Amino acid sequence: MSNFLLMNQVSEAKGALDRLRASMKTSIKGKDDVIEHVLVCLIAGGHLLIEDLPGVGKTTLAYALARSMDCAFSRIQFTSDLLPGDVTGVAIYDETAREFVFKPGPVFASVVLADEINRATPKTQSALLEVMDRARVTVDGVAHAVGAPFMVFATQNPVDYEGTFPLPESQMDRFLMRLQMGYPQPADELDILRIARTSYDAIALTPVVTRAQVLQFQGLTAQVYVEDSVLDYILRLVTATRTEAEFKAGASVRGGLALRTAAQARALLQGRDFVLPDDVVELVTPILAHRLVLARQTSDALEERRVVAGVLKRILAALPLPR
Amino acid sequence: MAKKRPQLSLDELHQLKWLLGGVLVLLSVWTVFYLEFDAWVLMGLATAGVLAALARPEWPARVPAGMHRLVFPAVVLFFLGDLWVTGEVLPAIVRLDILLLLYRGTSYRKKRDDLQVIVLGLFLIVVAGVLTVSLVFAAQILVFTACALAFLLVITLVETAEAGGPPAGAEARPRWVDVRWGQLLARVRAVTDGRIVVLGVALFLGVVGISALLFLAIPRFQLENSLFFERFAAKKARSGFTESIQFGEVTEIQQDTSVAVSVDVTDRSQLPATPYWRMLVLDEYRDGSFRLSPALRLASFTRERTGTAVHAVVGTPPAAPGAPVFWTFYLESGISRYLPLLGTFAQLRFTEIQNYRLGAELGLVALRDEPMAMTAYRVEGMDAGDTMPDAKLVAALRPGARPGLVPVPARLLRLGVGEADRVHLQRLVQAITGGADLPAAEFTRRANRWLGQRHAYSLRPQIAPGPGDLLVRWLDSSEGGHCELFAGSFVLLARTAGFPARVVTGFKGGTWNAYSNNYTLRNSDAHAWCEIFDRAAGVWRRADPTVGAGNAPAETVRGEAALARRTDRSWSARFDSLRVFWYRRIVNFDQRTQVETLRAVKQATENTGRQLRALLAETVEQARAWLAEPWDGRRVAKLLAVAAGIAAAGWAWREYGRGWWRDLGRGSPGRRLDPVRAAAAGWLRRIAESGARGADEAGVWADLQRLRFGARATWPEPSAVFRRARQAVRTLRRRRATRA
Repeated sequence: MSNFLLMNQVSEAKGALDRLRASMKTSIKGKDDVIEHVLVCLIAGGHLLIEDLPGVGKTTLAYALARSMDCAFSRIQFTSDLLPGDVTGVAIYDETAREFVFKPGPVFASVVLADEINRATPKTQSALLEVMDRARVTVDGVAHAVGAPFMVFATQNPVDYEGTFPLPESQMDRFLMRLQMGYPQPADELDILRIARTSYDAIALTPVVTRAQVLQFQGLTAQVYVEDSVLDYILRLVTATRTEAEFKAGASVRGGLALRTAAQARALLQGRDFVLPDDVVELVTPILAHRLVLARQTSDALEERRVVAGVLKRILAALPLPR
Repeated sequence: MAKKRPQLSLDELHQLKWLLGGVLVLLSVWTVFYLEFDAWVLMGLATAGVLAALARPEWPARVPAGMHRLVFPAVVLFFLGDLWVTGEVLPAIVRLDILLLLYRGTSYRKKRDDLQVIVLGLFLIVVAGVLTVSLVFAAQILVFTACALAFLLVITLVETAEAGGPPAGAEARPRWVDVRWGQLLARVRAVTDGRIVVLGVALFLGVVGISALLFLAIPRFQLENSLFFERFAAKKARSGFTESIQFGEVTEIQQDTSVAVSVDVTDRSQLPATPYWRMLVLDEYRDGSFRLSPALRLASFTRERTGTAVHAVVGTPPAAPGAPVFWTFYLESGISRYLPLLGTFAQLRFTEIQNYRLGAELGLVALRDEPMAMTAYRVEGMDAGDTMPDAKLVAALRPGARPGLVPVPARLLRLGVGEADRVHLQRLVQAITGGADLPAAEFTRRANRWLGQRHAYSLRPQIAPGPGDLLVRWLDSSEGGHCELFAGSFVLLARTAGFPARVVTGFKGGTWNAYSNNYTLRNSDAHAWCEIFDRAAGVWRRADPTVGAGNAPAETVRGEAALARRTDRSWSARFDSLRVFWYRRIVNFDQRTQVETLRAVKQATENTGRQLRALLAETVEQARAWLAEPWDGRRVAKLLAVAAGIAAAGWAWREYGRGWWRDLGRGSPGRRLDPVRAAAAGWLRRIAESGARGADEAGVWADLQRLRFGARATWPEPSAVFRRARQAVRTLRRRRATRA
């Protein structure tokens, strides 16, 4: 009977997520694949790193997501003088109550946009990363849970490295996915120009799913069935990155787990209660690429991204799919 | 699917091919062991060469390329020289075959050379099989066939793996020669699917079984007669019963425990407790040896006849109550040309035409030649008693009979020793009889006792050299002796006392094989004893003077009780029973026994069916009765215990048994695919290959995906899905065809 219930829930989730997708599409033009990945990331309970040039819609994307699901949205613009307390919040002394009162920082929201995360000092970065990992903030020995669901959109500019503190590889691993927005297609861009919105606050979106539903979908994701041969396929993929000569370091165990969870999320998004090998194939690059370190030097981040994607493509082609 | 099974590389396939080819060569050249051709040196060379090539596959690369060009002329020269020297065609061909196998086994082979190995090996094995019709042949051809099948499989795999690439050269040093056999075997084990092996073996056994059934079902003809090269084979005699006895050591025979004769009897109660299987009567003692005198041979044996049936009614054979008793003898080759028999008989029938001479009164049959292969014959109305009437001798001994007409008595009384020895013998007889004129039976008893007191049994008698007769010297001493000495001495003593007497050779005793229900005589059962003529009764009376062989009262027991004492349940008996089965069902097989066999099989199946039905009815009846009994706590507890036991067995199967079956298919780490998932994968692939899917196929496609990748609990009914998948494939193909 529980299976029947699960099937019901799956179709219910698919309906809700379809609505969410449609809602986001109204404000993000021509980026269906990005929206798909964002949704995967959302119901997989992961965080997103978006590397792209300024002004291609990163903020709009995060904002659209937050507004479509009735969640608190906050934005932190990372700068070199940003302090950890500015992110997490601080305890201040309340004269009237004669005690320290915690004043929540901007991370206390469900969708947090951490803009240009590599501009902040490592100390501040790590404050955010701790929140991402544990979904709570500890100030003066008191733990405060942040919003649930909790999803961080971190952005980086891949070109302008002047005066930045690049995220260490170990921190990169904490992002479920890394995405590129890229420029929209000319026709889509024409639409954007035609609408002529001045700021993302002007986006008028009505929530289509509730926070509780999102949490329920996240719970459902974990129940999506992964057949042994698909798990084996994931394992072989991850192992192949570790034995690949082009890479200094292959994907971690967390990378494999991330691939599995993301594949489950994608299956749910498509209304399935089981994972297909295609789910894995689709997600290999966004899930694994940022976790891999090339053995050779590259001229810049864009070049590195291209090489890593090329090697991953080669690995995928070499590994036979589970029949 | 789980982990892809590792596959053998091309080099490993080549190594496997090399190994299997070597094994095939060895298997076939070892036929020399029982082929009895003079090819031992070549066989040894081939064995050593192939073993060396297996141990060091890189060695053939060291042979200079020019040598290979010399091989063909050398082999031809060898063959011609062999033919010229020996003049025998078949042995020369066999030697040529072994030589070619040696060459093929020690040089790198191309594909056609591999096939040549199979053909050459098969030739050797078939020749050996036809010549010997032995059980070894059956075993060997089975092993050879299995090896050859594996070899062919590997050849095919090599060919597939090499497709496109350049074929491995035969002369150059190939890459694969650096073999580590241990590693290779480990790899083979890793890539071998246990279940496939089990199924393959089962299939092979099935084919063997069907062949056996066909063998039983098709009409037979006698292979031995129709093939000319039987006479090329020569077999050595082992126990070697010949027309004379030299009193030498018999240790060799005693230690040869191989089977000499197997005997089937339709009525076991007819078996004497200690059967004496007579083969040859030796009446003349001359120059220290007993032999069959030419006179007796002339007088008692018929002229040579040719045929399958021997009629030898002597007087009236004792009318046995009930059905006639048949004795079927399977005489191994190399024993004797004289056939073992218990006594006089009414009729003897060979399975094939033989040249024979019959000594009806003596109860003997002699073939012209010592048979090359196993000889089978069936005897009817055989007298298994310990006396043998001799009307001729009675007539000859009657007062007033003309002595010249029947010269038998004088020869049967002649001592054949010197005067001094004769006097000495008379003194000994005096000591035995005490000067009284005893009847034959009493004399036998006393002489046996006297001999037994003075001489122990020994296989290596130490007879002091000296003048005079050997037997008399032995009688004088207190040395131990073997049956021939006892028998020979007894005859001399009896003749000195005035009784006609003769030595009889053959087999004594034997064992009852409890597995095949037949009597087995081994070469070590060979024996010599005597027959002494009882004037009063007019019969020859058996006397076994060998110490320890005296006629104990139990010896007169017949039938089951006697068999029980002789029953053999050892392992060698099991093997012998196989041989007898082979003889009964395969070699000595004519139309009639075939019909009998089929009838027996039919009967057995019918009986089994009837018994099963009866058993079922009985079980149901018992269950009903059991249910009808009043219930109490104990019975409920018993029932619960049984149910718990069944549940435990089911649980154990689920826990361990299924895992074991799965592990068998594992071979390497990584789980195997569930059969339903595998089938679903197959249908997904077929649909994908059949052309573009439309909306009609979306449902079945999703269901197949669910069967392939979904949780088992959410599966739809697989067979229904597969049925729809089949329809979908058909539709898609039709659509593609019409579009094309």
